[in-house]
Amino acid sequence: MADGNFVQIAPLMREPGVMEIKTPPKLQPSANGAMICGMDVGSTTVKYVLASPSGEVISQAYERHNTKQGEKVLQFLSRLEAQHDFTPQRDRIFFTGSGAGLIAPAVGAKVIQEVVAVAASVERLHPDVRFVSEIGGEDMKTIFFNGNGTTKSKQVLMQSACSGGTGTFIEKTARKLQIAPEALSEMRYTGHTLHKISSKCGIFAEADANTLLKAGVTVDEIIASLFEAVVYQNLATLTRGNTPLPEVLLLGGPNLFFRGLQEAWRLHLTHIWQERKIAMPNGKAPEEYIVVPKDALYYAALGCIEVALGEQHTIGIYQGMKKLQWWIDEGQYEEKKKQGRGGLCDSADNLKTFIDVYSKMDATSQANIELRATTTTVEKKKLDRVVVGCDFGSTTAKAVCLGPDKELLFSCYALSKGNPIEDAKSLFSQLREAIGDGEILGLGITGYGKDLLKGILGADCGVVETIAHASAGLHYFPDADCICDVGGVDVKIMILKNGTVSDFRLNSQCSSGNGAFLQGVAERFGIPLSEMADKAFLAQAMPQLSMGCGVFLQSDIVNQQRKGWQAEEILAALCAILPLNVWIYAGGMNNLNQVGKKFILQGGTHKNLAVVKTQVDFIRSKVPDADVVVHPYSGEAGAIGAALVSLDWWEKGGRSQFRGFDVIEKLTYLTTTAKDTVCNWCPVNCQRSFIDVQLPGGLGREWSKVPLSLGWERVIVNNSCAKGLVEDLNEMKVIKAGIEKTKHAFPNIADMVRQEGFRRVTASA
Amino acid sequence: MWSTHQFWVAFLREIGISSENIVFSSDTSEEQGREFGKGRGTVDCCYPVKAMSGHYGELIFGQKNKLHIIMSPMIYSLPSFMRGHTSENLACTRVMAGPENIRAGFMKESDVFGDNGIKYAAPFVNMAEPEMVPKQMYDCLKDVFDIDMAETQRAVDAGYNALRVFNEKAQAETRKVLTWCARNSKPCVLVLGRPYHMDPGIGHEIEADLQAYGYPIVWLQYLPVDKDLLDWIFGEEVQAKKIRSPLDISDVWTSSNSSNTNEIMWGAKFGARFPWITCVLRLSSYECGMDQPTYTPTQKIVEAAGTLFFKFGDLDSTKPAGSIRIRIETIVHYLAKYSEKIMNQKLALLPPDCPLLLDKQEQSEKSLASVAGSD
Repeated sequence: MADGNFVQIAPLMREPGVMEIKTPPKLQPSANGAMICGMDVGSTTVKYVLASPSGEVISQAYERHNTKQGEKVLQFLSRLEAQHDFTPQRDRIFFTGSGAGLIAPAVGAKVIQEVVAVAASVERLHPDVRFVSEIGGEDMKTIFFNGNGTTKSKQVLMQSACSGGTGTFIEKTARKLQIAPEALSEMRYTGHTLHKISSKCGIFAEADANTLLKAGVTVDEIIASLFEAVVYQNLATLTRGNTPLPEVLLLGGPNLFFRGLQEAWRLHLTHIWQERKIAMPNGKAPEEYIVVPKDALYYAALGCIEVALGEQHTIGIYQGMKKLQWWIDEGQYEEKKKQGRGGLCDSADNLKTFIDVYSKMDATSQANIELRATTTTVEKKKLDRVVVGCDFGSTTAKAVCLGPDKELLFSCYALSKGNPIEDAKSLFSQLREAIGDGEILGLGITGYGKDLLKGILGADCGVVETIAHASAGLHYFPDADCICDVGGVDVKIMILKNGTVSDFRLNSQCSSGNGAFLQGVAERFGIPLSEMADKAFLAQAMPQLSMGCGVFLQSDIVNQQRKGWQAEEILAALCAILPLNVWIYAGGMNNLNQVGKKFILQGGTHKNLAVVKTQVDFIRSKVPDADVVVHPYSGEAGAIGAALVSLDWWEKGGRSQFRGFDVIEKLTYLTTTAKDTVCNWCPVNCQRSFIDVQLPGGLGREWSKVPLSLGWERVIVNNSCAKGLVEDLNEMKVIKAGIEKTKHAFPNIADMVRQEGFRRVTASA
Repeated sequence: MWSTHQFWVAFLREIGISSENIVFSSDTSEEQGREFGKGRGTVDCCYPVKAMSGHYGELIFGQKNKLHIIMSPMIYSLPSFMRGHTSENLACTRVMAGPENIRAGFMKESDVFGDNGIKYAAPFVNMAEPEMVPKQMYDCLKDVFDIDMAETQRAVDAGYNALRVFNEKAQAETRKVLTWCARNSKPCVLVLGRPYHMDPGIGHEIEADLQAYGYPIVWLQYLPVDKDLLDWIFGEEVQAKKIRSPLDISDVWTSSNSSNTNEIMWGAKFGARFPWITCVLRLSSYECGMDQPTYTPTQKIVEAAGTLFFKFGDLDSTKPAGSIRIRIETIVHYLAKYSEKIMNQKLALLPPDCPLLLDKQEQSEKSLASVAGSD
């Protein structure tokens, strides 16, 4: 791990590659009467076309390989030998597709680049085509043909770094929605209401689809929206200032099989043509210029034959199946060993030293709790004067008590029930039991519940997550330069300068690098979370996974399994890839040196020591003298930070407004879930609930559709985004009026520029 | 455009184009790019340049009344209050060449301008050298607007005059804000960005979120350069011969070629010294090559005397609202916690007689609401 050079590093938004392709030489019949086979080994299927010496198609077929590419090719070759007398040392074979490189040498085949192959067949079969879109399982390409005859040129744009816009993007969500492949292929685009679905990332698209589903949007509308997203993504990233001109050819599995996708292309392309006044070459209806050939799957394989006919007849002589058979039985495993890298630790001694040091850092681990219990005589401290910190997260709510000397005296948690009032009641009843008659000097809260509950609980400080985590980090490690928090669903990186958070990264563009993914894979392998690190440390070798898109990582894992890598080896590889995904892919930080020397790791994912090991190794590979520590209370850090901030406030003379345990215990509330509580800020229309709490001094909401009288406060829940916390236009007006008043009192010079800079009447001032 | 707007307005009015016939494209937005720029994009990683295709498209296709001329100047150098104190005042080469680059996207297959009855004019102008501008404008625009050299000269003069009047007004407003802060011991926030970060679709109005918490916002482009104020802030350093003038940046930035970069570096120096600026916001667009080398120096300058510094980098079409909200709340926390200390710390480093506290004329300023644009 030390050199950190073992993985392919792809930039976050890779620019599509551009290449110019030479037109293949004129066709000549294959010499010696040799038949030619074109084999396209793709990410999900294998396709072959067998042609006569002069290029006429004799036979063709495609089948899914279920990640067994070699086996499928072997099966096809035996069929060709048996049924069509495809003969070693006489006939010729050419491979293309993303899986061609590994298998082709075993049978003597020459590899043809996919785009070259597709372009060759398109040029012969469709001389009038100006634009080709080929969507594959894990990539997408466009080819623009310009000019005619000898001046004809091609421009190719392709994208294979990210799942947005590819077949996997649609299939992954369809699987989640439990749509059978046959049904999916018949689903329509035309006539459905479209919803906004992230076109950039397959995992986020899935999340969007889930939200839409929960909100009652039909499966048909969701799928139609996915087709829209795919076409949009292709047009947005793969046209680059070129207009796709008629005639257009749609190729590849998704374009062939998904009727809805074809409809989406038709709508968008005809719209563009109309808008840009593109004349139809022969005056036919625009739709007729968008062609999906019935052989759309075979164009790459067909192209191999086109190219082969232009090659010397000694090229690509078929060598038989023997070597391939050997490769399937043994060779790929040897390859595995060659390609793989060592385990997470180079020696047992080093591993022991690492575990000795790092296993002591997590104060909340069972082993450390037991160790403290046996080695120290714990004197139960009285909680007579404490500050309380609460962290209301999306899955759990946590609370801690600190003494005025900042010592952690008590902590507790409650699983979230989706009702913040009930969560608060549950947490405060535990606190009451611990504190009893003790005095609460200050109450700080953080997490999503911060704004909802501050007034209701009488909290003194509502603390933003970053401040809470930074305060907790700096309390234990005052010289910290960076806090890296890897939670279940997000990654936060906080860079500290002079004791403040000077920079902050929240991974919101892409799901890559979070803990849920790791956990999901472990679960699929049937490995409990608690054993994941031990298993990963067992691995003596591991495959090299590629950094980046989580969707592709999933299929990469399946491929590696196929090569014979075992569960623990794959888990080790996933742990090894995590730091790259966290820091480089998701965090966008290539220069860790600038960050500093002291790094704190926190968040649930860092309870896994294998991840800690790879993080430590990665950080030290960039910053050799880095000091990397795990926060002793990484799960409670938020609550501790909130408590520290409120302690600071108390020390400066603040006096707590905490409403008291009695009030919280007896909180009376009414929940309303009705038509009037539906959120109308976006088409998702979340069915929210209003929890109205009786509270002395409550401001009420007389302007609301669900009016609230004085002495009551409202908490809004079941909204899927922050916008839904605002009740409706009426409340927005109230809030905006407040903001405008503040802005009026505290000007922004840019407002003046925005208003007057482009004003046309002030010129002669 | 965001720093020379009034020049163009006044120029056009002076050659006889009435106000209602001058149209600016609207603020940049993701929707504008999607609807009007779709597929017209050319290869450029600079987001503000990329966004221009949406603006062109909107001017061609999104107008109620058809336009006759689209003018998109190629600004080689910029007028700057730092002229004479730096080696050059060049515009970023990408921005300068942006119009040509974007035009290509609309000319590649057919002349979209011509097809829509629009003349396209992109005068190449050295705006930092006013004496060169009339000829440059005349050469490019004589046939477009049917103007002679004398008319062009008058229009250029009117343009510079309008721009000067506007800049002086904005500087005066900024002085008012700073005076109010000084009189009331209140902190304010300085934005270090390029002029186009004032475009809500490029800067995402990040500073407005801070303003909503009750912090006045000033921009480096319109910091007051009045002698009394600059002498108070930089006088001792000039006397000690550390710098040649208050606007000299050679102590921190030797290759002073780029106009905006020069101003940003000076803004950082001003922000670092002026006591009531307790926080500096640095805005930068996606992979800006001009900004890249300035990140560390500006941060080091600003933080030298304890001023808070926060960077929002790699801004592109999407406003990452969740992440911005958390960061703004974070900044507000530190502003509330440290502003007083920072103000005292910085005041102690300067001579006692701050002109903003002495200025009798401004004594009566109790409220900031009179600053133009705040309503």
